[in-house]
This record gives sequence, C-alpha cells and structure tokens, in this order.
Amino acid sequence: MTIAGFITKNALRNRRRALLSVGSVAVSLFLLVTLMTLVRELTIPPEDIGASLRLVVRNKVSLAQPLPWKQITQLDKIPGVMAVTPFTFFGGNYKDLKVTSFAQFAVDPVRFTNVFVENRSSKEQIEAWIKNKAGCLVGADTMRRYDMKIGDTLKLTGTFYPCDLELKIEGTYKGSVDDRTVFFHHKYLDELSGDLGTVGTWWVRVASAEVVPEVRKQINQTFENTSASVSAETERSFQMSFVSMWGNIKVLIESISSVVVFTLMLVTVSTMSMAIRERFRELAILKAIGFRRREIFAFILAESFGLAALGGVIGIGGAALFWGLLDVQKLSNGFLVYFEVVPRTMARAAVVAAVLGVVSAIGPSLSVAQTSVVEGLKTLD
Amino acid sequence: MAIEPIVEVRELSKVYLQGETNVVALNRVSVGIQAGEFVVLMGPSGSGKSTLLHLIAGIDRPTSGQVLVRGINVANLNESALAEWRNRNVGFVFQSFNLIPVLTAAENVELPLLLTSLSSRQRREHVAAALDLVGLTERAKHLPRQLSGGQEQRVAIARALVTDPLLVVADEPTGNLDSKSATDVLTILQSLSREANKTVIMVTHDPKAAAFGSRQLHLEKGEIVA
Repeated sequence: MTIAGFITKNALRNRRRALLSVGSVAVSLFLLVTLMTLVRELTIPPEDIGASLRLVVRNKVSLAQPLPWKQITQLDKIPGVMAVTPFTFFGGNYKDLKVTSFAQFAVDPVRFTNVFVENRSSKEQIEAWIKNKAGCLVGADTMRRYDMKIGDTLKLTGTFYPCDLELKIEGTYKGSVDDRTVFFHHKYLDELSGDLGTVGTWWVRVASAEVVPEVRKQINQTFENTSASVSAETERSFQMSFVSMWGNIKVLIESISSVVVFTLMLVTVSTMSMAIRERFRELAILKAIGFRRREIFAFILAESFGLAALGGVIGIGGAALFWGLLDVQKLSNGFLVYFEVVPRTMARAAVVAAVLGVVSAIGPSLSVAQTSVVEGLKTLD
Repeated sequence: MAIEPIVEVRELSKVYLQGETNVVALNRVSVGIQAGEFVVLMGPSGSGKSTLLHLIAGIDRPTSGQVLVRGINVANLNESALAEWRNRNVGFVFQSFNLIPVLTAAENVELPLLLTSLSSRQRREHVAAALDLVGLTERAKHLPRQLSGGQEQRVAIARALVTDPLLVVADEPTGNLDSKSATDVLTILQSLSREANKTVIMVTHDPKAAAFGSRQLHLEKGEIVA
C-alpha cells in the first residue's frame, strides 16, 4: 500500500458522494468557463498591431452625426497620417433576415486597403473590387455562413438610407478582428442616396505608435470650432466605447460567476466537512499510531484537492471541447462570431478549482488538529 | 541489583475542567512497570484507569507529574515528537477495533509502517509476520466488514505489534467480543508478555479477563488502592 493509494481509497469510500462532488465541481466550472468566455467575447478589444496604429475620427457631437467629405483633404495633410478612408455604416438587411449578422460599410476601396493593411485578400480580387463601383468585399465568415461565392449578387435593403444596394461579390478577406463585414464603394452609396456629401466616420492609419498621440491631437485641433468638430480616438478605445454599452451585462455576468464560485465553495466545503466528520474517529486512530497533524492535513488536502482537480479537468476540459465543437455563430444567430475558450480562461478556472480544493480542506483540517486523540476516540462513528 | 522499570509513573495527576468544576481523574499516582509484565488496570467507571492508560501511551497530557518510559519523560515531548514516539514505542488495541473500513486486513496492519523508512518489500514481510502471529494469514486480503469481531480485534493486535513496540496498551479489548473470541485475544496478549517479553497494559472491567494478567492494579477515585 502507498500513501497515494490510501488517500484514493479514502476519497472513493463513498462513491456516490465522490461522484456527485466531482460532478458539481465539473458542472459549476463548465458554467464558469462559459460565462468567462462570454464576457471575454463581449468585451475583447482589437489588439492587433494594425488596430494600435489606427485612429477613428467621428463627429464630436455624436457618432450618429455625419462628417463633411471635404475634411479628407485636410486630414491627408496632417503630418504622420499615412492613409485615410471614409467609413460609413449602411445598416442594410440581407434577404428576409430579421437580424443581419454582418455589418456593411461604405469605404474608398483604394484608401481602405492602405488603412487596413492586415486584411488578407488576393491582389486580383482587390483590383476587381476597385474597378467595379458596384462591387463589394465580403468577410470570409459571412461568405461561409451564407454559402456565398465570388461573382454572386448581394442584395441589401436599406433601413435608414433611402436606397437598396445590389452588389457583386468581387472578393473576400480574412485575418481581421471580425471577418464578417461587407465593404463597398462609398461613391456607389453617394450615387444611390443623392450625394449627401457626408461620411459616417474617418478611419486613419498613422505612421507609428509613437506619433499616435500627436496625430490625434492635430486632428482634433484642425477641426476645432468648425461646423463639424471631431473627436479622434484610437481604434481600441473606439471599440471599447461600444464595449462600455455592455457594461451592465458584463457586471451581471460577473455577478453570476461570483455566485457560481461562492455556491461551489459552500458545496465543496460542506461535502469535505461531512466526509471528514464521518471519519473523525479514524483520524484519531491515525494520530494515535503516530501520524502527525501535518500528515493528516496533507491527507485531507490531497483528497479535497484531488476531487476538485478531477472536477476541474472534466468541467474546464469539457467546456473547451464543447464550445470548440459547436458552431456558436450559427447558434447565436450571428450575435457571437467566436466563442473560444482561451488558455487564460482555462487557467483562471483551474485556479478557482485549486483554491476550492485548498479552502475546503482547511476547515476539516483545523477541526481535526484541534481535537485530541482521546476526544477523537470518544466520537461516535 | 534492582531492575529499572520500563515504565515509571511519578506523582501523576490529571484534572479536567467540567463547566466551572475541576474533576480529578487521577490523583498523584505513582507506579512502576517492568519489561514483560502484563499489567491489568481495574476499577469502577470513572476510577481513572483509562486516563492512566492514555497518559502512559502518550495520547493525553497530564496536569502534573511524570511518565517515564525508558527514561524519556513523555509529558515533555512536543506534539510532533510525541506522535513519532508513539509510532515507535506504543501499539494500541481498542475496544471497538478501530480498523479503517476501506483497507484490507493487511493494509490496516501496514498503516503504522508507512511512517517508517522500511521498503515496500520489508513492510510486506513485517505485515505477514504480524498476521501470522495472530493466526490471520489467510484473511490478509479481507476487508474489516468481511471479518468477525474476534478476527477484527486480532487484526488490531497485529497492527499494534507490527512496529515491534515497547508497550502494547489495550483499552477494554474484549468488551465487544464473545467469550471464545475474548479468550483468543487475551491468550495472544498473554503470550506476547510471556514469550515475546512485551510489556502489556490492559484496562478491563472483567475479572476473567484480568486473570490473564501478571499483575493487577485497582484504581478508585483516581488513586491506586491495591
């Protein structure tokens, strides 16, 4: 017999309880990983190098207020600005879908490719898109989801623009933070909407990260006290302002996660306490025959930690496997593009499991340590 | 030349606090026990016999006085040293056997050896010898619930002997046994004393059981009266 064998036999002496304990830890950690992943997916800001070099310029009053086309000439002249593209949200509906899972933006194709340098697309497709005013570039996820092919016609019904779009898919791209979006010519939108002479936002690529603050300051100053004052911010902070709209939901999910962890803690502490209480007399015998407090604590800790770890492996591994196999984009009707259980989330859940294992061993261990052999022997089985 | 006693109890007292009242369980008891003796502690309930046994075995602390076992004052050892001392020097036999239910007879006997530096093979040899001594070689792989009460108590004796301790302490070891099993257990304890020169200290109420001992000590109200 080995010490490990002894601990295992003790842990499995009541198989049903051990199974239920492991099951409760596994289910709770599955839920925790799912909630943490959901929060991450809702709040993740773009972190690629391209995003750190891009500025988003919007109307200072609000994002809904347009900006005049003529600003582009002044933006081009600001030192440190490498490329500028108009970026206007169309918000059309695809086919008879109630909720269209992909956004559509009107851009200047040539300028666009200079601003979004990390997008991966074939040179021929980009050239074809540039040449065709009614052409569009569709993200790889949207192509796959709706079974679209190059050359297909993409019809979008305008919601707040008084026009519908009939676009020819000239190319596709991937490698961006969201490979769902459709991009088309701003000129095409201008033609259909009666050339309003406005854009939604400007997206600007800056020469280097060092000059980002200065360029941002320059842009804001250039249009200060004009009819269309602007607010320039980094793409990351721009996206985070959208994320902040999720604030309450984030707090809600995090609150639920905390409750899950707390409840799990109560369940495991209670289970371990019961398991040890039943063995109080046996533990007194172990002390009598020479096992020291620290060895008894190690037994209890190993047992508690082992059950929590096994539950953790099943729950965390199960969550990674389950969400990895599931098409979350389809399941969420396009609300979530990805639902990736990343190693960081798994590590955080593993820490929760480890803490659980340790905390639930402390109470029973203290109780055993404080009880003398004679008192322990007097307890009823 | 006088032989030094293996256990020397000097002016040993134990006072419990019950509510706000001090209860004297043992009052300045002194006694010496020689190696190989089979000492039986007798007396009515509350006379202090179990307390004296617990103090000699180092599972309880005295209020005052000394317990010297081979010259070592057990009361002076700290918690950790006392645990180690018990493992090396004391074998316990309890009234309700106290075997670990998930371990086989052999594993129960092996338990105290897990604290020693013996190899797995050496441990197995010691366990086999101990089980052979109590006549349970055939039951080595049985769980406690598959054994009779008498067999369980013999496994407990094997567990008490496996570390080759100086003292074997037994607290009412026949209290839960039928007369046949009780006689078997007492015979083993007696032979340990007579043939293996082990010092056995046993608490019992039963005069028939006491008759197996080489010396009887009667306690009343925390004092040795005979």
